[in-house]
Amino acid sequence: MYRKLRLCSNNGGYEAIPEPSLHLDLGAVRSTLEAQGIAVVDARVLLVAATDPEVTISRSGRLLFKTRDPAAAERGFQQLRRWLDLPGAPVEEMVPRRGGIS
Amino acid sequence: MARGVMLMSGGIDSPVAIHYMLRQGHELVAVHMDNRPFTDDTPLEKVVDHLTVLRERYHQPIPLYVVPHGSTQTTLMRATDRHVGCILCRRFMWRSAERIAERERATFLVTGESLGQVASQTLSNMHSATVAVQLPIVRPLIGFDKQEIEAVAKEIGTYGISTRPGVCCQAVPDKPATRSNLIQILREEEQVDADQIIDDCVRKAIIL
Repeated sequence: MYRKLRLCSNNGGYEAIPEPSLHLDLGAVRSTLEAQGIAVVDARVLLVAATDPEVTISRSGRLLFKTRDPAAAERGFQQLRRWLDLPGAPVEEMVPRRGGIS
Repeated sequence: MARGVMLMSGGIDSPVAIHYMLRQGHELVAVHMDNRPFTDDTPLEKVVDHLTVLRERYHQPIPLYVVPHGSTQTTLMRATDRHVGCILCRRFMWRSAERIAERERATFLVTGESLGQVASQTLSNMHSATVAVQLPIVRPLIGFDKQEIEAVAKEIGTYGISTRPGVCCQAVPDKPATRSNLIQILREEEQVDADQIIDDCVRKAIIL
């Protein structure tokens, strides 16, 4: 279940980390994204998808949105949730905190 | 004075290392390994801004080579053990820098490394990474602690640039190796065509 969308350690992007970790089939994720017309770099252990904003998807389900705009990160998260059927908390349960959404 | 090639990441350390080398009167050529798409644009932007500050301060041109490194990372992640990914990454960075040093008639390499700051900067990892090259490597900051480096960075005007927000490298494994075995590293590296990778990267480098 994704509960948090927060600034990453270098404050340059927002990450969503599922608790507990997922075991995503990155091949299937790649196919799904490419079917949506999204370009994907497949590094085997993670994918970089040219969504808006760009996102890195780890096998564990960790998502990193390359934007400093929390609203854009949230849009990106919700879009991925729909496409990939990810388990996530409804957006209204996410409350802004310290520049991030927790 | 001698001519060297400096690896620049956009972090706090490399401009401080450059500061000490330029202060001694050495000529430097900068190399930035461009990790996109595993980072964003900010590391390159920071390096460009660091060099603007340092060029003005020391009245030196300091050419900058930007070497594409993202495809190398992808190849390494696909083919090799993730735990040693940072060390392999460093070996490819050093090799690229050495190739540019040959082109620029430089006789040494420079880095802002200091011992123990991050996982890849243990003594065994530094050794495993640097035996990939023949040129001597100068580390002006090797015995500095972080506070000392930050103090100098503030003094020379690069600290504020280094600490701007940026996406950290997504190619770093969850548990990077802190003690490496060179034989294992070499075995892993045999999984890829290192010479071909370096040739491609350096050929695609651009000069800013």
